[in-house]
Amino acid sequence: MPHVTFIHGIANKPPPDDLLRILREAVAGGPEPAPLGDLGVSSSLVYWADLLYEKPEDDLSAYEGVEEDTAEAIDGGGNAPSPVPRSAEEAAFIEALRGHLTGFSEEELEGAEPPPVPADPQGELERIPLPWSIKKRFLKAYLRDVHHYLFDVDFGPPGRPVVRIQQTIRRRFVDALTDPAVTRPHVIVSHSMGTVIAYDCLKRVADCAPVDGLITLGSPLGLDEIQDKLQPGWTRKDGYPSEKVALAWFNAADRLDPVCGLAPSLARDFRRDGASRVEDVKVDNGGFWRHSIQKYLRQPAMRRALKGVLNV
Amino acid sequence: MTTPPTRDELKEQLKDQASQVLKRLNGLCDDVSVAKRLVDKLRDVREYEAMGQLAEAISRHDPADARNRRLYAQYLIDTGKATAAIDMLRPLTRRLAKDHREFAEASGLLGRAHKQIFLDAAIKTDKPARDALKQAINAYRKPFDQNPANTWHGVNLVALLTRARRLGLRFASDLKPAEVSKSLVKTLEATPAAERDMWFLPTLAEASLGLGDWPEVERHVRAYAAANDAKAFQVASTLRQFTQLWDLDHTDERGRGLVDILRARLAVLPGGELELPPDEVQRLRKQPSPDNSQLEAILGDRGPETFQWWKTGIDRAVSVAAIRRQLGGRIGTGFVVRAGDLGLEPSDELLVLTNYHVVNPLGASPGIPPEEAEIAFEASETDDPVRVDKILWSSPPELHDASVLRLRIPVSGIAPVPLAKALPVVEETARVYIIGHPGGRDLAFSFQDNDLLDHEGPSAGKPPVPNVWRVHYRAPTEGGSSGSPVFNSRLWQVIALHHKGGKLGMPRLNGKDGTYAANEGIAIQSIRKAISEA
Repeated sequence: MPHVTFIHGIANKPPPDDLLRILREAVAGGPEPAPLGDLGVSSSLVYWADLLYEKPEDDLSAYEGVEEDTAEAIDGGGNAPSPVPRSAEEAAFIEALRGHLTGFSEEELEGAEPPPVPADPQGELERIPLPWSIKKRFLKAYLRDVHHYLFDVDFGPPGRPVVRIQQTIRRRFVDALTDPAVTRPHVIVSHSMGTVIAYDCLKRVADCAPVDGLITLGSPLGLDEIQDKLQPGWTRKDGYPSEKVALAWFNAADRLDPVCGLAPSLARDFRRDGASRVEDVKVDNGGFWRHSIQKYLRQPAMRRALKGVLNV
Repeated sequence: MTTPPTRDELKEQLKDQASQVLKRLNGLCDDVSVAKRLVDKLRDVREYEAMGQLAEAISRHDPADARNRRLYAQYLIDTGKATAAIDMLRPLTRRLAKDHREFAEASGLLGRAHKQIFLDAAIKTDKPARDALKQAINAYRKPFDQNPANTWHGVNLVALLTRARRLGLRFASDLKPAEVSKSLVKTLEATPAAERDMWFLPTLAEASLGLGDWPEVERHVRAYAAANDAKAFQVASTLRQFTQLWDLDHTDERGRGLVDILRARLAVLPGGELELPPDEVQRLRKQPSPDNSQLEAILGDRGPETFQWWKTGIDRAVSVAAIRRQLGGRIGTGFVVRAGDLGLEPSDELLVLTNYHVVNPLGASPGIPPEEAEIAFEASETDDPVRVDKILWSSPPELHDASVLRLRIPVSGIAPVPLAKALPVVEETARVYIIGHPGGRDLAFSFQDNDLLDHEGPSAGKPPVPNVWRVHYRAPTEGGSSGSPVFNSRLWQVIALHHKGGKLGMPRLNGKDGTYAANEGIAIQSIRKAISEA
């Protein structure tokens, strides 16, 4: 039986069972639907929001629709604080990542009034016509979650044990792939920071099981700062996880997605023996918030790629 | 953790309890209060016969109990005995004081009994229908005049007045439907949020309909029908009111659009069930779809998608056939398949698949031989029955319980149903749909949503008979008929051939202990495999 493993992205999320159902529903609706259950495709989820957030979101409406009126609906749920760097390297990483998204300083963003938007917006996030109170929460979640993973920070939300974030998430991913319920062909569908985790494990964790396909949606893997943190392992010439991805790597990016818009193409940076192997597709998610996994999962090109590898 | 009983199991439990209480009531009179509570529960699960028996027994012990008399009358209406209910309710409303809490309920029910007689009448302008309409208006009017907070009486009054005016009847000529609606909307909007129950929005939608305020109607309907936690019974109730009472199917394009959209929504909701007569299926296929702006106004941005799904289901219904004994009644169901999809030649020939126990070469009971059978596609443009030429392949009930029929006149103008390549994954949210003739009723297509319970297909199945993969699913009310197609829930592809229904006591599959309430089908791919290997 074919199998799909989802891995979610930044910010807080609904409980795992609800999130998995929502993701399956998203793939099943819209044009060229891919209702996994009906197609005889089992599915599971690598869930890690509980390692960074106190409790799951209980209002599911923001995740089930495509309204863009709350922080939860734009990957900003959970009220993550800004990350506190422990070293100059971490500070530089956070600043660089922030610089891709906004031209405003931390202090300007924390001010009571929204900062004036310049005539020529400097960062990706400025281009998105949403209230700053909402965008700010996305920004913090993005910087905090990515930082904590890539720098393997010791962290535990209130009431939960402190763990090494990267090591713990890696273990969950690796265990999910070796679960006896997982059968081939097997495709990983990853979003946002989930693409970084999936790539990191497939390329850099020796006991990670192989898969048949990797799908990355709204991925920041094209950013230099992220690639730098995936070394050793990643090189531009041979960054493709050849030993663990048997058939295909499909990458979808919307140019107006603040997470991947600056570096939407991965084929150039993740080659196999110098040759392009990643299938990059530019998509138009529509609306203000282009990073939404709901929107990526409704893209016909993504569904075709998924069904192709699953052979359904 | 204890699994909550299914609706069927709950019904059986309540019927058992009712039977025991009934025995005690007929002996010692010590269980009247228990019995009264049970009547409510039986009504909630629509177990009317037991409800009526108990209400009769309670009446013998406590004939003055107005509530029990009212529930007894409800049983009578719900079992088609509206005139008997009227005979019971009239003296009840006369003897009750106007401020008795049962007065409004009994008056409303009296209105409902008359309304039912009107709705059942084939010709709405005949005298019995006109009289019933007039009496219904009077019965609903009294409690509403007495207290405008009786809003459910009020919306029925508006709907009936509107219907009467459309028929050119001037009953209650001093009342203007729009004014009653306006008063209703005002009362409803003044209801404090904490006092608004689940019928608040449906009532407000109907009251707005009385004003012809379509944007408000659609806004209120959307608030409960498009919600993620929308309830099938709530949508079904609105649909019933809008079609039977308001007759929106036959008014204008917007009204037709609204009820079509509600049908689509009901079909997609868990527990939703629709019965459509064949001519209704034909009509729905022919008429234009509601426009996207109305679909989005009522169902949100997924509205067009939901409707497209529903239209596909309607199209599939055309491929479902009644299998009849010549000069006799319907004995089963079948559906059109492409020969090549089953591994037969010529691959483009269209055939009919049904159960062996419906049609088989020997005519083994309860089935009939092919020469006695005829096939009618009741929802297609030409529903003339066609005789069976021969059985191309069959497998007895203990194996696949299937017969593939070639017709004397080749099937044309009817699309074959697509066959799913795989069985759905058994997971909590997995559902299947059956299009068939429920409970043996002839002229109705039932779109039933069922939970998929288990199957013996790859890769986890352990079929006791090699390559015969049984599929179990739970029907919310009653089983479909033999030979119906069982579809996966999203794609409307056939996954199984329905072969038997079992309310209770179906042994579980795959070596699991115990029994449950389930229907059983045979996986279409195991039938295909058997044909290919024959």
